[in-house]
Amino acid sequence: MKKKIMSLLLCGAMVATMFAGCGSSAESSQSESTGESASAGESDYSKELTLDVYDDFANYNGEQTGWFAKIIKDKFNIKLNIIAPNVAGGGDTLYQTRTAAGDLGDLILVGTSNGRLTDLVESGLVLELSDYMKDKDVTKNYSGAIEAANKGLEGTYAMPYSVSTDPATVSGEGTEPTFGPYVRWDYYKEMGYPEVKDLNGLLDMLEEMQALARKKEGTNDIYAFSFFKDWDGNMMNNAKQPTCMYGYDELGFVLSKYDGSEDIDILADNSPYLEVLKIYYEANKRGLVDPDSTTQNYDTMSSKYSQGKILFCPWPWASKSLFNTQENTSAGKGYQMIPISNMKIFSYGATPEGNTTQAICIGSKAEDPQRIADFIDWLYSPEGVECNEQGNGAQGPKGLSWDLDDDGKPYITEFGKKALPSNDTEVPEEWGGGSWKDGVSALNFKCVSLEDPDPNAGGAKYDYTTWESYLNAAATPLDEDWSAQMGGAKTTMEYLKKNDMLGIAPGTTYSTPVEDSNISTIRGQVKATIVDNSWQMIFAESDEQFESIKASMIETAKGLGYDDCLKVDFQNAKDQNAARAEAAKEYSK
Amino acid sequence: MSEESNARSGHRNRAGAGAQEQAVHIGKSKFVGFKYFLWILPFLILVFLFSYFPLHGWIYSFYDYRPPRSLSQCEFVGLQWFKMLISNPTQVSQLLQVLKNTFAMSLLGIATSILPLFFAVFLNEIKCRKFKSFVQTFTTLPNFISWVLVFSVAFALFSANGMVNTFLQQIGFIDSPIRFLDSDSHTYLKMLLWNMWKSLGWGSIIYLASIAGIDQELYEAASIDGAGRFQKMFYITIPELLPTFFVMLMMAVSNFLNNGMDQYFVFQNSFNKEHIQVLDLYVYNIGMTGSSYSLATAISMLKSIVSIALLSLCNVVSKVTRGETIV
Repeated sequence: MKKKIMSLLLCGAMVATMFAGCGSSAESSQSESTGESASAGESDYSKELTLDVYDDFANYNGEQTGWFAKIIKDKFNIKLNIIAPNVAGGGDTLYQTRTAAGDLGDLILVGTSNGRLTDLVESGLVLELSDYMKDKDVTKNYSGAIEAANKGLEGTYAMPYSVSTDPATVSGEGTEPTFGPYVRWDYYKEMGYPEVKDLNGLLDMLEEMQALARKKEGTNDIYAFSFFKDWDGNMMNNAKQPTCMYGYDELGFVLSKYDGSEDIDILADNSPYLEVLKIYYEANKRGLVDPDSTTQNYDTMSSKYSQGKILFCPWPWASKSLFNTQENTSAGKGYQMIPISNMKIFSYGATPEGNTTQAICIGSKAEDPQRIADFIDWLYSPEGVECNEQGNGAQGPKGLSWDLDDDGKPYITEFGKKALPSNDTEVPEEWGGGSWKDGVSALNFKCVSLEDPDPNAGGAKYDYTTWESYLNAAATPLDEDWSAQMGGAKTTMEYLKKNDMLGIAPGTTYSTPVEDSNISTIRGQVKATIVDNSWQMIFAESDEQFESIKASMIETAKGLGYDDCLKVDFQNAKDQNAARAEAAKEYSK
Repeated sequence: MSEESNARSGHRNRAGAGAQEQAVHIGKSKFVGFKYFLWILPFLILVFLFSYFPLHGWIYSFYDYRPPRSLSQCEFVGLQWFKMLISNPTQVSQLLQVLKNTFAMSLLGIATSILPLFFAVFLNEIKCRKFKSFVQTFTTLPNFISWVLVFSVAFALFSANGMVNTFLQQIGFIDSPIRFLDSDSHTYLKMLLWNMWKSLGWGSIIYLASIAGIDQELYEAASIDGAGRFQKMFYITIPELLPTFFVMLMMAVSNFLNNGMDQYFVFQNSFNKEHIQVLDLYVYNIGMTGSSYSLATAISMLKSIVSIALLSLCNVVSKVTRGETIV
């Protein structure tokens, strides 16, 4: 009898668990309806709110912690639960499963290309914001950009990205470009500053540098190159980067030059992308490529840069920002850009109307949308920019990492010197404690360009590396040495501009339109073919193997319909070039 | 007369009682039948829910489905995706490669499905009880580890700076790390070995149980006849286990195309994709990673068609060889 009861109970439990899923969904739909009925107006902050933040740009998954979390908790009584497809991997999987389920998140930071924003609006996943944003500062200050971000939509659904007061033809980047050949300057110095003529020259130089560094540090785990696979999209991300040093940027399978003078498909005979693959292959043959490359992710790779173990980096923000701490630079160690004679670095122009390829929205099922709108409004305020964009190069919260001197000029505090740009420095308890680095906002979203003046800082830029006080104080032995070699230039940008090595693509509000799903389907498969084969090419064992993989890659890609995708991409590139030309004309007045 | 009528009416009465009895009986058996039906009802519902209900998803293959939009907002495209599958030679050759991988790995799996039997037979010969149960537990445990964890173990052991490579480098056996995980050499074999490591002990449990059920008199008789240990194994144990083996084999064949995807999913990378992509993984890669749900649905329908073809083939073979059909 006991047994019978027991088994009945077990059966009951099983059935209950089976239907548990249905129960919870019913519950959530109930809360949804109450959420919708909440009317716009003043929001009451007494109840703590945890926002599910779907963020296409975040490189951190989980709850926001540290000083930034404390600031927004104090201000809005909210917590951010970041959902990051970049971390989850698998391309668009997360976006699609969440949208198919009908709830992308409470706060949505999303790439708008390929008509995604229109999709979100038409399928009712994002909220119409005009009521919530009425009378907000952001609406008053950036009405033009908001309008541009919502072009083609009926109503206001998206808030813009990287709004700027600069004209479109001025670089939207601060003292450092987005791309550039950065190497360990201390070793470069020891080698006697050899001249680098082109990418092949860079390879030879790095081979010597690797030998030198290994000998000096007495360890064999120093490599010239290290790759990772997380950001592979239309092509292998790492292999695309050097092409940006020659003025190209990707648009689908096309590399488009900053000034519209050349659009080239990545599998063409003279494609810079294939050239880079060949160089990386050569590098691997010479033992310059980190063997972890095939399996590691961005996190693992960036921790190697923090230790200075990888000699070359195509980005300042992954090398210089991580390794050039005060401790390292005062010892003369650090990453700096070296000039390659024939380079012309691609630079994103400022976007006076915002960069419409990225946007912030509020999910239609969000609880308390008014509070989220208040939060978004704050993100566009000077204080919001200082704090939220710290990870992108802003100065951080006033009173902690920076302050105003008696003349009203901003300066970096002692704490700031230790903590900036993103060091593992202990934050005082009243600011939330924990490590500075871990407390940086994970949103990774620039609402306002860092090159804009900060009214709180007496009109100096948000980008603290441009401050007079910083430039004077930051002259470490490393910077002085670099500056002396670079003809007295104070910043990388200054050098590039002076030597005409910067190719600025005027900022536009262009984003690629919706593409035919036939093309998307083909593209999905072609992408995978190109990415997989690119990796295989770099790690090929012989020249013949390299060539045969290349041939089979091109054959498979073309067989799958690569050319059909190209037609679309070339057209998009043409449209983008036209938009750039127009923006340049507009602001040259 | 009256007696007669009495008798007749009595007869009638008896007949009436009989009909009544029969009616009661029918009612009762109907009731019992209904009761039995109720017993199987939950399972019918389960089968319907999990085997038939999902089939309505096939409708996606006739639409141009893009996730944020609901199906009603999407365009009906008819057989476009099916045409795309067949009309493009590269796509067809990719699909063939995927089918080849699926068949190859399934066949290897079936070919090695005899190993758990031998393992069980040999394990049974171990006299030391403690050692025997230790081995059994030890080999069964991997079955309960998820593939994700298996991969993290594999990664810790075999990645470029994993244990094996570090060890080999330190003793000076190799200069640069061997690429165990990120290469396409012997992919089938590697996958087979991982799978065997994981499932060998678990697979042998059923054979150990059947060994326990073998009539001991057979062994006694064999001993009297002077049979040795190996003779007993080969002439008694194994033949007694063969029926079980064939049942297991049939079940394996029916799962021919379902050779799982989690194992291949965790082990796949840019280097081994050509040979590791089995049908389920291919569908996943196209649908989820490549974001073409409609095409992926079309391909997965193909799987059902291949399955039905295989089943009919088995059926024909069975009819020819055994004279009776399976279905």
